[in-house]
Amino acid sequence: MSLDISFIGILIGSIMASSVPLILAASGELITERSGVLNLGVEGMMIIGAISGFALMVITDNLFIAIVGSMLSGVIISLIFGFLTQSLLTNHVATGLALTIFGIGLSAMLGKNFVGIPGKEFPILFSSLRESIPFFGPILFGHSIVLYFAFALPFLTNYFLKKTKLGLVVRAVGDSPVSASNQGINVVLVRYCCILYGGAMCGLAGAYLSLIYTPQWIENMTAGRGWIALALVVFATWSPIKVLIGALIFGGITILQLHMQAIGFRIPVQFLSALPYLMTIIVLVVISRDSRKIKLNTPTSLGRIFYKEK
Amino acid sequence: MATDLRISNISKIYPGCIANDNVSLQFKSGKIYALLGENGAGKSTLVKILSGVISPDNGEVFLNEKNLKLSSPLDAKKNKIGMVFQHFNLFETLSVFENLSIDATEDNKSLRVRINEIFKKYNFSIDLDVPVLNLSAGQKQKVEIIRCLLRSPKVLIMDEPTSVLTEQETEELFISLKKFCEEGILIIYITHKLKEVLSLCDEVAVMRKGKVVSVSQTQNEKVETLANKMVGQKLAKIKKKINISKNKDEIFKVKHLNFYSDDPFETNLVNLNFSVKKGECLGIAGISGNGQNELFQILSGEIITPDTSIIFRNKEIAKLNPKQRREYLMAFSPEDRISQAAVPELKIYENVALNNFKSSNFFEKGLVNERKIKEHSKKILSDFSVNTDNVELKSQFLSGGNLQKLILGRELITAPELLICYNPTWGLDVGAINYIHETLIKINDQEKSTILISTDTEELLKLSDRIAVIYKGKLSKIMPSEEVTPEKLGLLMGGGSID
Repeated sequence: MSLDISFIGILIGSIMASSVPLILAASGELITERSGVLNLGVEGMMIIGAISGFALMVITDNLFIAIVGSMLSGVIISLIFGFLTQSLLTNHVATGLALTIFGIGLSAMLGKNFVGIPGKEFPILFSSLRESIPFFGPILFGHSIVLYFAFALPFLTNYFLKKTKLGLVVRAVGDSPVSASNQGINVVLVRYCCILYGGAMCGLAGAYLSLIYTPQWIENMTAGRGWIALALVVFATWSPIKVLIGALIFGGITILQLHMQAIGFRIPVQFLSALPYLMTIIVLVVISRDSRKIKLNTPTSLGRIFYKEK
Repeated sequence: MATDLRISNISKIYPGCIANDNVSLQFKSGKIYALLGENGAGKSTLVKILSGVISPDNGEVFLNEKNLKLSSPLDAKKNKIGMVFQHFNLFETLSVFENLSIDATEDNKSLRVRINEIFKKYNFSIDLDVPVLNLSAGQKQKVEIIRCLLRSPKVLIMDEPTSVLTEQETEELFISLKKFCEEGILIIYITHKLKEVLSLCDEVAVMRKGKVVSVSQTQNEKVETLANKMVGQKLAKIKKKINISKNKDEIFKVKHLNFYSDDPFETNLVNLNFSVKKGECLGIAGISGNGQNELFQILSGEIITPDTSIIFRNKEIAKLNPKQRREYLMAFSPEDRISQAAVPELKIYENVALNNFKSSNFFEKGLVNERKIKEHSKKILSDFSVNTDNVELKSQFLSGGNLQKLILGRELITAPELLICYNPTWGLDVGAINYIHETLIKINDQEKSTILISTDTEELLKLSDRIAVIYKGKLSKIMPSEEVTPEKLGLLMGGGSID
């Protein structure tokens, strides 16, 4: 295999594509967690998004409806989580785990009739530019609109949290819900919104898998990506830009180690398969060493149930 | 414009406790009002109602004869009622400016201008762009006050504002409050500290067990009269009979205590030598932050220092940890009740079991003997008149005074020969303070010894047989307490020297 420059361009393009679901789900979960809510149901919400997106595409033959529908399904399933944790004050961890198990089971049941149906080709943008420019063409062009959105999302999230009033409110609620409530902020409402937003992003991440990345429905097709997204948020110390870096490293090493396996490096396959997890954690730990920054970015009230005094 | 705040017939009932019982009060701008009462008298409930955090079961609030509906903190804000809570309502990880801008309606630029105007007017100075967690307690309080001022309040309520402040910060606060008052802001000052009421406030309302028991002009009151109203009974004056006898045995002897730390927040200790006799109380005075923390931790065995010799009952114990020291009949009552002395999330009897001394038999073959611990805990609760007999209650629901009684009870049940306590009455109300003082005197009467590290001069003069002052990690010479006056102590505590 020749490692010429255009091959590297294509490789980078495929790495970007493989990290899109992680970026989407992790950015959504990041907002949820910044408001102090720990939703471990990312995997469940993603898989529901994947099946509802695919099913809607098959039924309506309209990709726009499929994408919007997958986000809505993410919103609906996260609403269950929101109602349980915010209105009925259940434990975040247990509820999130239940949501994942529920999502995987429900998606398998709904997906029975959609196994083996071929997907539809998703339109890609600037496909002519992709071919005409060497190296940069495959990196910058010829992707779906969802990919461009995903790569803009961490920057938008960062801007939202740091520069906007609403972002400030979200951080305040995550820091101290009691103080926020005493300042007249409706903590439960803010948290509901953040949970639903996280749900929508996870639904979109799932739909990306079943409509764009591997356009078909396979049972359990998220294959643990939800958990990786969750881990990314923590190891990136709740910083959106670091989430992007982490997702790219994870996607990059996943693709690279597949190539290495194919080439036949004399390294045990198990080690190569473990490499993406290992490297992502190491890199994120190294770039997030500043304990002061960690303290400032960590939502202090994460996972704690908030009661309003009456 | 004059402000007139009237609360009429406010009641708030919690299960098992009437927090506010038909409270009616009237406040007018241009004066500073004190709301005085012991912990649990219902002051905090009342101000939470005024700030819209909780709603009353009954009763109404009128501002300038307008009936206010305070069903959320937003309502209080809209009606220009500002509130500075005892436990700060700040966002620790956000910057000072973010904390101030969160409920502002204007853009950041003009907000900064307004904040700087307030800084200039009241002589404040705080870096707006550092996170709040880097600020001192006094600065945090200023941020809270500025947040209120930004909304140009008519009423400003301060809930026990000085409990976390140093004396210097307290003085600054009082100056600011008087300025606010002159500008026509109605100030309601909640406290249980009598002296503050007399030095700052014009009128005082005393609350006890949810009721207003008296409203009066402070100029007609004295510390004693207010204390009696607050507690509801005549407080016995406590003064210890000083007993110094030369021929008593030295039970505890410290030599060459040195401590060096790289941490800029710790104080180094330089060659401390002292001893305690049987049945004696040795007081160690000083302004907080002069090495008391470190001294307490070394005496209790939390920190082991090399080359130090500590002889207790003729044995060398300098290398022993706190548990081993307890076996030799030492007992400790640290300053911070919540985080050092007790675990607030644990039940009372579980906290009692934490002091697991050898003879207790609390644990047998690795199993918890719950029956025994509970029996033992009940005895502590009744012996030390803690206001509950429910050993299953979580410790965090005890008031400061009751928690301190529980801790002292836990420590004293082993009949220790030496009790070391650090600010045992910090933040407590008069009734509880009296009780703790009586207990400490009783210990000395039983020929047991105490070391009292305290920042409260009055307490030290009341309880100690001999007193030394710690300043910047150095100990002054030890003086018999009849030779010591408050002035002398103050001089030494400030770093001066006598004769």
